[in-house]
Amino acid sequence: MGQWLALHLPWLPLDLLGDGVGAPLVVTERVGGRTVVRLANAAARRQGVVPGLGLGGARALCAGLGVRERDPAREREAVGRLAGWAWQFTSQVSLEADALLLEVGRSRRLFGGTEALLRRIREGLDALGFRCVAFVAPTAEGALVLARHGVAGGAWDIDDLRRQLAALPLAGLPIDERARRALHDAGLRRLGQVLALPRPELGRRAGTTLLDWIDRLLGAAPDPRPPFEPPASYRGRLELAAEVGTTEALLFPARRLLHELAGFLAGRQLGAARLDWRLAHAGRPPTCFGIGLAGPGRDAEGFLALLRERLQRLALPAPVREIALAAEDLVPFAGRPLALLDGRVVDRCSGLLERLRARLGEDAVSGYRLVADHRPERSYAICAPGEASAGLRFPARPLWLLPEAEPMAVRDGRPWRGGPLDLAGERERIASGWWDDGGVARDYFVAVTPAGERLWVYRDLATGRWFLHGLFG
Amino acid sequence: MSALDPLLQRPDLWRGDRGPVTARPGVQTGQPALDRLLAGGGWPRGAVTEVLADRLATGGLGLLLPALAAMAADGRWVTFVAPPFVPYPPALATAGLDLGRLLSVRAPSQGAKLWALEQVLRSGVCGAALAWPEVPGAVALRRLQLAAEAGDALAVLFLPSVAAAQPSPAALRLGVEAVADGWTLAVLKQRGGWPAGPLRLRA
Repeated sequence: MGQWLALHLPWLPLDLLGDGVGAPLVVTERVGGRTVVRLANAAARRQGVVPGLGLGGARALCAGLGVRERDPAREREAVGRLAGWAWQFTSQVSLEADALLLEVGRSRRLFGGTEALLRRIREGLDALGFRCVAFVAPTAEGALVLARHGVAGGAWDIDDLRRQLAALPLAGLPIDERARRALHDAGLRRLGQVLALPRPELGRRAGTTLLDWIDRLLGAAPDPRPPFEPPASYRGRLELAAEVGTTEALLFPARRLLHELAGFLAGRQLGAARLDWRLAHAGRPPTCFGIGLAGPGRDAEGFLALLRERLQRLALPAPVREIALAAEDLVPFAGRPLALLDGRVVDRCSGLLERLRARLGEDAVSGYRLVADHRPERSYAICAPGEASAGLRFPARPLWLLPEAEPMAVRDGRPWRGGPLDLAGERERIASGWWDDGGVARDYFVAVTPAGERLWVYRDLATGRWFLHGLFG
Repeated sequence: MSALDPLLQRPDLWRGDRGPVTARPGVQTGQPALDRLLAGGGWPRGAVTEVLADRLATGGLGLLLPALAAMAADGRWVTFVAPPFVPYPPALATAGLDLGRLLSVRAPSQGAKLWALEQVLRSGVCGAALAWPEVPGAVALRRLQLAAEAGDALAVLFLPSVAAAQPSPAALRLGVEAVADGWTLAVLKQRGGWPAGPLRLRA
C-alpha cells in the first residue's frame, strides 16, 4: 500500500497576495448576488472582519481595508505551479482545486524518512508563501478528507486511519445529497457511525456511490488519480496586494517565484539559462527585461542576487501591480547549484566525476546532505555532489557512524569493550520517528574504553540492550 | 680529492650542516603546536602525508578537519576515497566543513581505491583527498606523490602502524595515538625537517 501526503491550501487566495503584507486585506466572492468576505487576513480579523460578512459591513468595520475578488483562474494556475514544484519530491503528484496529493511511499527513503520529507516540504511551501494543512495516510482519499478538515498529522495504517476518520462530522464530506439525507434521517452525524453499519444495510439506505467512496477511503478499492505532468517550461505570476513603487519591494514576491522555479527545475533536472521578467502597471504597457546566465542554473538565491543587481539599474515608470516570471530556455542540468561557481572549476570537476563514474559506477560518487531528523542514522542523506545543506545544528557527534549499530557485550550490566566502558559523560535522549517504521527511543553516551578510545554508544530504551553507533576520531 | 667528494656531489644525500631545506608553506593544521613541528608550518601541500594509527577510532581524521574546512572554504573539493564507515556529516558540518564541497567515492578494491585517489589528486579541483587503503607499495606511493604534486593537493593516507617499517616517499609520516581527551602525535619523518614529538594535543 502506498503512502499519500495531502497538502490542503485553505488560505490559497490570501497567500497568493502575500497575505496582504501586514495591511488589512480580504478576498471576496459573489454569493447569490451579494459580495461577501471569503477570507480575511489577521490584520482584518483584528478589526472584526470575518468570513461571511458582506463587503459593505467589512468596509464599515475597517477603514483602509484592501479588497480583492477571488480569482479561480489564478488559483488553478498557482496549484498547478505548486504541483510542478512538488514534482521534485515524487513523480506522482495529483491536483485538486484546493489541494495537492503526493504519493510519497517511494520517495520518503530518498529524503530520510516521512518526517524529514514532510518538514522539507513544509519549509519549502513556507518559502513560497503558502500555508498548508498536511496529512499522511495509506489512502489518497483518506489523507485528503482529513487534511480538508484541518487535521494535520498522519495515520500509520488503515485501522489508525479509520479511527481518525470516525470523528469527522458528515456535514463536510464529499458524499452525494441522497446519501447525506438518508444518513441524516437515520440519525447518523459522524463518519464513525456510518463506518460501523453493516455494508449491505448501508448500501440499501444510502446507495452504492457511498459504498464506493468508503472503499476508496479505506483502501478496499483502487483509487487511481490522474497524474500531473509538469509543463515544458515555467511561467508564474503574482498579483501584489498593494501597488509597489520601489524596486526593493519587488524582491519579496520575486523570491517566491524564484523558489517555485527552482523547485520546478530540480524536479525536471533542468537548469535555466535565461529568466524573463514582466512588471505590469495600471494603464500602461508592462516593463519587461531578461536576465541571461553565464551557464544554466537553478539556485533561487543566486537568481535573486542577479535580479537585485538588475533592478538597481531600473527606473520604474509607474507602480507595479503584478510581477511575472518566465523561464523557457531550459537545458538538462544534472549538477546542483554549481552554476554560480567559477565556471572553470565546475567544468573540470564534472570531468573528474564523469571519469570516476565511468569506471566505478554511476552511484560510486556522491555527496552528503544534512537532514532535519533527530535519529542519528537519518540526520544525513546521500545526495548528488555539491548540494548545499541547510544550516542545522547538532550536539556533540562522533566523526564516524557505523552503517548499522552494533550490539555490544555487557558484563555486570555495563557495556564492555576490552574492559568496562566509562559512561560518566552526559546522557542524550533521542526519541523520534513515531510515524514511520523507524521509531527510536535511545539514551546516547560518549563512552571511554580502558584503552582511551571514545565511543558513541546507546541503550535502546525498549529492550535495554546496548549498541555501538559511532567512533570519535 | 677524497673518497668523500663524489658522495657529497650526490643530490640525494642530505647534509646536516646545511640545515633543513626550506619547505613550501603548508596548510595550517589549526593546532599551532603541531604547525611548529612541521617543516612547512602545516600539512605539506602537493604531497602525500601518511597518518599511522592502529585503530580506526584513533585514526586522526579529527586532526585534519580544520585544514579540510579551510580547503572547502576556498572552494576546493575535499574527497574521501572509500572511507571505512560513514564520515558522519553532522560532525563534519559542526567542524565547519562545507558539505557542499565534499565528495565521497566508493571503490571496491585496493586497485580501485588507488586509481580513484590518483584521479582525484591529479584533477586539480580537490584541495585534499583522504583514503584508507591497505599499505601501498613503493611504486603506487610514488604515483600518488606525483599526482598530488600535479594537482597541488593534500593527499592523506590513513595506514596501520605496521607501515612504519616500510620506507616511503611520503613527505610526512605521522604517528597518532588517541588518549582520553585528544591525541599523542609523533612526527616519524618529514621531508625538509626533523622527526619530532611526542606532542600531546587536545581534541
